[in-house]
Amino acid sequence: MTLHPMRLVTVICEAVIEERIVEVLRECGAQGHTAFDVRGSGRQGQRSADLVESGNVQIEVIVKPATAEAMLARLHSEFFQDYAMVAYESEVRVMRPDKF
Amino acid sequence: MDFFTAIQSNLLSPAVLFFVLGVFAAVSKSDLKFPDSLYTTLTIYLLIAIGFKGGVAIHEAGLGVVWLPALAAMVLGGLIPLWTYPVLRKLGKFSVADAGAIAAHYGSVSAVTFIAATNFLKSIDEPFENYASAFLAVMESPAIIVGVILGKGVIGGGKFSLSDPGVRHALRDALLGKGVLLLIGSMIIGSLCGKRGMASVEGFFVTPFQGVLALFLLEMGMVAGRRLADLKKVGVFLLIFGLTAPLLHGFVGVLLGGWVGLSTGGATLLGVLAASASYIAAPAAVRLSVPEANPTFSLTAALAITFPFNISLGIPFFFEAAKLLHP
Repeated sequence: MTLHPMRLVTVICEAVIEERIVEVLRECGAQGHTAFDVRGSGRQGQRSADLVESGNVQIEVIVKPATAEAMLARLHSEFFQDYAMVAYESEVRVMRPDKF
Repeated sequence: MDFFTAIQSNLLSPAVLFFVLGVFAAVSKSDLKFPDSLYTTLTIYLLIAIGFKGGVAIHEAGLGVVWLPALAAMVLGGLIPLWTYPVLRKLGKFSVADAGAIAAHYGSVSAVTFIAATNFLKSIDEPFENYASAFLAVMESPAIIVGVILGKGVIGGGKFSLSDPGVRHALRDALLGKGVLLLIGSMIIGSLCGKRGMASVEGFFVTPFQGVLALFLLEMGMVAGRRLADLKKVGVFLLIFGLTAPLLHGFVGVLLGGWVGLSTGGATLLGVLAASASYIAAPAAVRLSVPEANPTFSLTAALAITFPFNISLGIPFFFEAAKLLHP
């Protein structure tokens, strides 16, 4: 079985900006995404998720390495300053690279 | 009935007592927690129930009676941010973004506060216009839009532009968010169906309503209780603002309600709406479009100060004011 290296970009952010983040990821070349509700705490305080709007969401996409860097750069310039969020990439290996 | 009996009858309603239980659960760090989707489910139920009921009342009364007080309510909602903004800027020393954000929350409305007020009026057998939920529906959006425009610093040359994706998303949220959509949608459905339609859904939307409301307020109590710790962060000014703004706005609403021909009960409801602050639609729209604003200020004030004040003391206060101003 041949596995191909790709990048997994993970964004954990305020639920209220989920749609905007997905828009940006799509514009950068993501073919799809996975999102789930999460909770936790960070430098900007507890994200208790008791009101849907004060919850956190984790968004993941698998993309080519160059795309991953472009994504992180855009998230950095457009969102990092104003919103409670983290974004990072990690290496993953997939069976069907043309899917991404 | 005198004022103290009114306060007592309000405080001893299941809704308010369950709210207190919720606050206690949060403060005592109890392990009580609602499943995530229940809060949303209860919100949807309550909005549809009052929207539908209001629609049936509009069907009975006719739009000719409803439009004037509804227009007055809408204008009042849009105007509130215009005077709260300068007060927050000058006296409160808040930044442009924070002042606009708080102003948006206070001009917009809280559906649950409104429902609690209708409950209070029912419990003391005070009649009111059942179509008053139309006021709730039209008061949610205008203030959010005005507050966001102010928060973007338009007065000082800032930009409010539709090319800003945050502003676009916020406008859609303000105009077509779930609150407005469900309220106006079920109001239209209710007004098309009339009394016959009501008879068919009564068993679900009317009979269990009080129980659902009690459940919802238990959850609201926990949500508000978790934010009590933030009171220390918001400062004395916002504490005072969170109590005086609803009082002032409530009296203006009661006054206006009488002028446009509402009954004592109806004027009380318009007062309560003017006094209430949004903690669902406004926070989301403001967060999207004015991200520099600190959400702790507006949400803590709306949820941990103004909401508890209104559902405990505010409602009987505004009822007394309505009786005095429009005997």
